[in-house]
Amino acid sequence: MKEHGAAVSITELTKTYGELRAVDAIDVLIAPGEVVALLGPNGAGKSTTVDMILGLTTPDTGRVLVFGNTPRQAVAEGAIGAMLQNGTLLDDATVEETVGMIASLHRKPLPVAEAMRRAGVEELANRRCTKLSGGQRQRVRFAVALVANPDLLVLDEPTAAMDVGTRREFWASMREFTDQGRTVLFATHYLDEAEEFADRVILMRAGKVVADGSVASVREMASGRTISAVLPGVPVELLDDMPGVASAERRADRIQLHCKDSDAALRALLHYSDARDIEVSAAGLEEAFLALTAQEITR
Amino acid sequence: MSTGYLILEIKRALRAAKFLIFTVALPILMFVFLSNLGEGDANAKASLMVGMITWGAFSAALFAGARVAVERDAGWQRQLRLTPLSGAGYLVGKGVVGMVVALPAVVLVPLVGALGQGVTLDAAQWAQVTAGVWLAAIPFALLGLLLGQYGTADSMQSITGVLMMVLAMFGGLWVPLSALPGLFGVIAKILPTYWMSQIGASALGSSENVLTCVLVLAAWTVVLGALVIRRYRLDSARR
Repeated sequence: MKEHGAAVSITELTKTYGELRAVDAIDVLIAPGEVVALLGPNGAGKSTTVDMILGLTTPDTGRVLVFGNTPRQAVAEGAIGAMLQNGTLLDDATVEETVGMIASLHRKPLPVAEAMRRAGVEELANRRCTKLSGGQRQRVRFAVALVANPDLLVLDEPTAAMDVGTRREFWASMREFTDQGRTVLFATHYLDEAEEFADRVILMRAGKVVADGSVASVREMASGRTISAVLPGVPVELLDDMPGVASAERRADRIQLHCKDSDAALRALLHYSDARDIEVSAAGLEEAFLALTAQEITR
Repeated sequence: MSTGYLILEIKRALRAAKFLIFTVALPILMFVFLSNLGEGDANAKASLMVGMITWGAFSAALFAGARVAVERDAGWQRQLRLTPLSGAGYLVGKGVVGMVVALPAVVLVPLVGALGQGVTLDAAQWAQVTAGVWLAAIPFALLGLLLGQYGTADSMQSITGVLMMVLAMFGGLWVPLSALPGLFGVIAKILPTYWMSQIGASALGSSENVLTCVLVLAAWTVVLGALVIRRYRLDSARR
């Protein structure tokens, strides 16, 4: 993909806060029409990356281009719509006024009623923003992002305050948007949302991109387990060909099997009657995902 | 920036009831109350009226500007930075809002003066105590904007409240400086509120030259305007 054809092109992007490298020399290309989930635990650098794509934060080094322009230019042209994390609404305005205010600033906005309909907040039009539930506020903020009629929609933790039902509705209205071939980048730490909705997953950890690919491929990497056992005398080549095993290695008597399907590999391994001290462990990306899901539970 | 945006901003600003009490109702009440305390000297009434116009107009402009603290706190400024509205556009818009909400006092206090309190002035004098004083509110809209970019939504309420009182009292808007010890006259000249009221008072024959008032207020405008822009740039770069 050529850089200038890309919806978002990120090159060697770095942002440091004091000692912390919040974003550490990442490279990402997003094609027009892609729906991309930016996944990672808190502090992985998702929000900083999003802020730099939006031009709200200036990178230390590296570059972001949005449809071939700087983020500021892209914003000025109305190419970007965004739902920011912790973004709030105007307490002294109604929903319709809030959406209308943003619409009045854009050059080619959606009709206000249309944006409210798509975000599912039509019936709240005359409600003051103070009188909204958390999930309703999120949907109003979605309407604010939509009314710009952008080519790229950036969402930072869009469903954070939503209950299950509201989340489902939110993603349904989002599909309406992506069906028109627009580009979406959303940061989340809900793995299931990424799986269900994104074409592509970019997994960040400690400021770096640790995985980038289709949902299926990242999932495959993520579900990989490692089996470790003491099994003297069996050649590594033989272990390599065992069902469910991706690769095998040996250190003295102990073998390590990196598995695509650890259940199948374990069944095969048990045919060797002298295999003992067997351990099955999650490894690599799975650990990252476990960290994510653990956070999801504590929230 | 579109007119649609400005109209919504003005609607929001006028919606705050507390705001209208301070900037319109109180100046009118105090005007009526104080002007009937004395022996009804027409000149004293007119200069009291100028003080109350000034009070209402400057406090409205100040409060309106300071309300940017609420938007800043809430992350609304960040949301606006994702629209084609430029930083300059945002600040000019807020300044215009401050000037618009200063209008009710500039219109209503003189109406009460002319119709209820028997203040009689010629057309040029009326223009100077209304339009002249209104334009002199510009530096106060800027002062509000500057404060609004420093404080939080909560702290801003008390800070602007106290500041409003100090500027009004020591600027000689409530009590004529001639009725106070000489030191107050010296303090007043440091404050922009004094010069703002003198724009109107000079039409009634005060000793200050109107050109001096304009120059002093222009200097306040330039300095405060520069500080507002500087602060806004630093603030957006930091966030």
